[in-house]
Amino acid sequence: MRYYVQRVALAILLLLAVSMLTFGALNVLGDPLFNILGPVAGDVNNPESVEMINAAKREFNLDRSLPVRYGLWVSDFVQGDFGVTFSSTGQPPVSGVISERLPRTISLVVLAQLFAILVSIPWALITASRAGKVSDRISTINAFFLVAMPNFAIAVILKFVFSIKLGWMPLTYTADDPLSSRLFQMVLPALTIGLPVAAVYQRLLRTDLITTLQQDFILLARTKGLSKWRILFVHALRPSLFSFITVVGLNTGALIGGSIVSETVFRIPGIGSTLVESVLRNDFPVVLAIVMIVASSFVIINLLVDFAYTLIDPRVRR
Amino acid sequence: MSTNPNPATPTNSDETIVKKKLGVGFWLCVAWLGLMAFIALFTPLLPLKSPTQNFLDTTNGRPPYSPSWKHWFGTDKDARDVFARTLHGARISLAVGFAAISAGFLVGGTVGLISGYFKGWIDRVSSFVFIVLLSFPSLVLAILLTSLIERSLLTISLVLGLLSIAPVGRLARAATLQFADREFVLAARQIGATNRRIIIKEILPNVAIPMSSLALLGMAVAVVAEGGLSFLGLSVEKGITWGGLIQLGSESSKTLEEAPWIAFFPILMLFLTVLSLNFAGDRVRNYFDVKETTL
Amino acid sequence: MNPLDIVRSEAEPLVETVEIKTHFKTPRGIARAVDGVSIQIRRGQSLGVVGESGSGKTVLSRSIMGLLPRNGVIREGSVRYQGQEIGNRTPKEMRSVWGREMAMIFQDPMTSLNPVMKVGKQITESLRLHLGMSASEAMTIAEKLFRDVRIPEPTRRLNQYPHELSGGMRQRVMIAIAMACGPNMLFADEPTTALDVTVQAQILELISEQKRDRNMSLLLVTHNLGVVAGYTDEIAVMYGGKVVEKAPTKTLFADTKMPYTEALLRSIPRLDQPSHSRLATIPGRPPDIVHPPKGCRFAPRCAYVRDLCLNEEPELQQASTPDHTFRCFYPVGSPEYLERKVELTRKGELVSTGDLS
Repeated sequence: MRYYVQRVALAILLLLAVSMLTFGALNVLGDPLFNILGPVAGDVNNPESVEMINAAKREFNLDRSLPVRYGLWVSDFVQGDFGVTFSSTGQPPVSGVISERLPRTISLVVLAQLFAILVSIPWALITASRAGKVSDRISTINAFFLVAMPNFAIAVILKFVFSIKLGWMPLTYTADDPLSSRLFQMVLPALTIGLPVAAVYQRLLRTDLITTLQQDFILLARTKGLSKWRILFVHALRPSLFSFITVVGLNTGALIGGSIVSETVFRIPGIGSTLVESVLRNDFPVVLAIVMIVASSFVIINLLVDFAYTLIDPRVRR
Repeated sequence: MSTNPNPATPTNSDETIVKKKLGVGFWLCVAWLGLMAFIALFTPLLPLKSPTQNFLDTTNGRPPYSPSWKHWFGTDKDARDVFARTLHGARISLAVGFAAISAGFLVGGTVGLISGYFKGWIDRVSSFVFIVLLSFPSLVLAILLTSLIERSLLTISLVLGLLSIAPVGRLARAATLQFADREFVLAARQIGATNRRIIIKEILPNVAIPMSSLALLGMAVAVVAEGGLSFLGLSVEKGITWGGLIQLGSESSKTLEEAPWIAFFPILMLFLTVLSLNFAGDRVRNYFDVKETTL
Repeated sequence: MNPLDIVRSEAEPLVETVEIKTHFKTPRGIARAVDGVSIQIRRGQSLGVVGESGSGKTVLSRSIMGLLPRNGVIREGSVRYQGQEIGNRTPKEMRSVWGREMAMIFQDPMTSLNPVMKVGKQITESLRLHLGMSASEAMTIAEKLFRDVRIPEPTRRLNQYPHELSGGMRQRVMIAIAMACGPNMLFADEPTTALDVTVQAQILELISEQKRDRNMSLLLVTHNLGVVAGYTDEIAVMYGGKVVEKAPTKTLFADTKMPYTEALLRSIPRLDQPSHSRLATIPGRPPDIVHPPKGCRFAPRCAYVRDLCLNEEPELQQASTPDHTFRCFYPVGSPEYLERKVELTRKGELVSTGDLS
């Protein structure tokens, strides 16, 4: 019990540190006034501009000190108020923008993980059972190649091959399409981020499987006359999954990062592509909100993975 | 392969140590990397076409021109020579990669060594900082930071360097912890060696071994990270980078369809470079791993 | 079946090996783990295989059962089960034999049981596969098996994981798994070595009982002569990949022929020795199975060695009864043996331990 409490406390501390870092970076390194008003912010001689400047300062609490601003922001944030975006007319609330776009990113990441898991497990089983043979070596080389390709390169190649040359996959994502076609449109983007991690998962699982297969209880299973596939699937797989599950969980954060590129190339309006757009527009409430959401999910997922580990391995259960 | 094919059978024969070689593949990678380094350093001096000049050739129709003897990698929409641009792209991409990992190693390595050796509060603080840095998916943090600063070669390298501090530091710390309690360190302390001397003479050489493979792997990551940033338009201002070239070559489906070479040659160069770094790093790790596991 | 068939099948060995060899390819050369072994085990009979580490005894049992990996293994000779040749069968072909006709139990029950699978399931798996039972039928049988092997509170234990059981109980589970489909032949590979001394006897009794009740044949591999003494009909002593003496148990103890066997017997500590007597050991180390010595493999360590032993390998010969064979030029009781014995006793290098029966 104490263990759980400790970890949760650490996670909260972590989130605070992350938020301070982010908030500080944006406000210290960037110029919020400039972001809001554009060049007008520097125009201190024009009384009209000064008027706008002061209004903005009041509106966004810019005349208060940094720690106070931070405190105000935190209290807003945890209540779900992420402020308003500067750039669009009418200044729609950031939370609206995010709630509209976040589900798309989540679907993308989930799809990518599903794909990676469904591919890597059989792949690992096959290569582990044929360890050292030609097919295994070829697979290792393939995995190496896959990992050496950056996300954006894979995206471009996939787009070229499947959308352009072969015409199998749609080129763009249309938000208004029905769910089934939207999911279909997400296939290539999901593959883009899912393929490299599938290679990583496969490599890890294969190593663990090979270790497990050398254990005595596998030999005993053989003496019971069980078939090769039954031994692999029923006996060898489960004890080998511990590192696998941990890595899958921890990788979710990396996948969120990868979605940034994927969404940009395939033009999916999720929070990844929004982050890039906002950064290029200096729209920092959005940037701040997205970074916090991503970092928070990262921290929370890591925490959950930690806890899940204690549940999965019956030997660790107390 | 183990000398004991049946793990449950007791054998008398000594465990033979399989001879570890770096292998042909390793040297091929080193050759490629050497070539890239050469290109990165000496491109302006080489007899290439200019990367910014428009080689409009009305006899050939409208650009982009496909690969030919005149333009080995073809040209882009503005009739700029892709071959020259790709080679120029190597400069920034590799320079940033190298500088970033060097900075990361310098800072991260030092912090890791010190935390692992002295432990105590230094260790707790630095570990916490590492964890905070690692709480962001790296691309997100990179994007955040590069959006706020003036983007020059130096600053981008520093940002990526900052990102590599945590992983490097963690490894350095773990490796140092392994060695800090060993007898040879205690022995050195007994004869009155200062901490500084112990760290430099006893621990550093041992830690350098696992770190060397991390250097190669880390550089691969840095190159990819820079590629990602430049693809998104967040790398060095007005610089020619592989990521940037790829982005230009793929930003419209039309371009990609009609002139795939614009994007694909930079992709190829990037891929081969990252592959070489990964493979070489892996080989180095395998080569040194034997000693580690038998210790 | 007419009575003559029954008699014949009882007389024919259940398992038989003829000069089998199992060699492993290693970077140092070919390791001759089993180098020409011929044994027969009849229905309901138990054979103990005794030897030091590296004598090839474990490889022997695995070779007979066919459990060796395919790569890097050279096999010669023949292995017959119920008269049929099984030595050249593929693992796929052997799967119908494993579990059903032949079973094996291993030394360390902690590593031999699947740590993340409930023990009940590990038994019902065999039952459902080989005997086609349904889940509930199999559970009932599993419970009965647990009772047979004397695991208290069988119903509760069926749902537990291996790490929740004690070492002795885990070994009982292994025995239950092995017995599940009623095999004709059981290979027990050092079944008690990893257990507490107090539990060892219980497990051996249990194995013995199962063997009797099921008229099962048993091959018991161990380095401990004390274990085989009470629980086997016949004993084969292995050294350097070969059988150096084979005899019915009582005969082996009463009329030992090969000096190695004698040395083994002498090294068993006994209750009736005077206190502080030195424990007799066999000097030297087991032979290198990649480059075995020329001549008798035990010669370098034998107290009674002579020139012939170092140059020529002794063949198997019969002792006073046809079921007692051994390999030695100057066996226990021969003139050369006695001559040397006198010398060594005079020098004080041989401790007399009295009657070994």
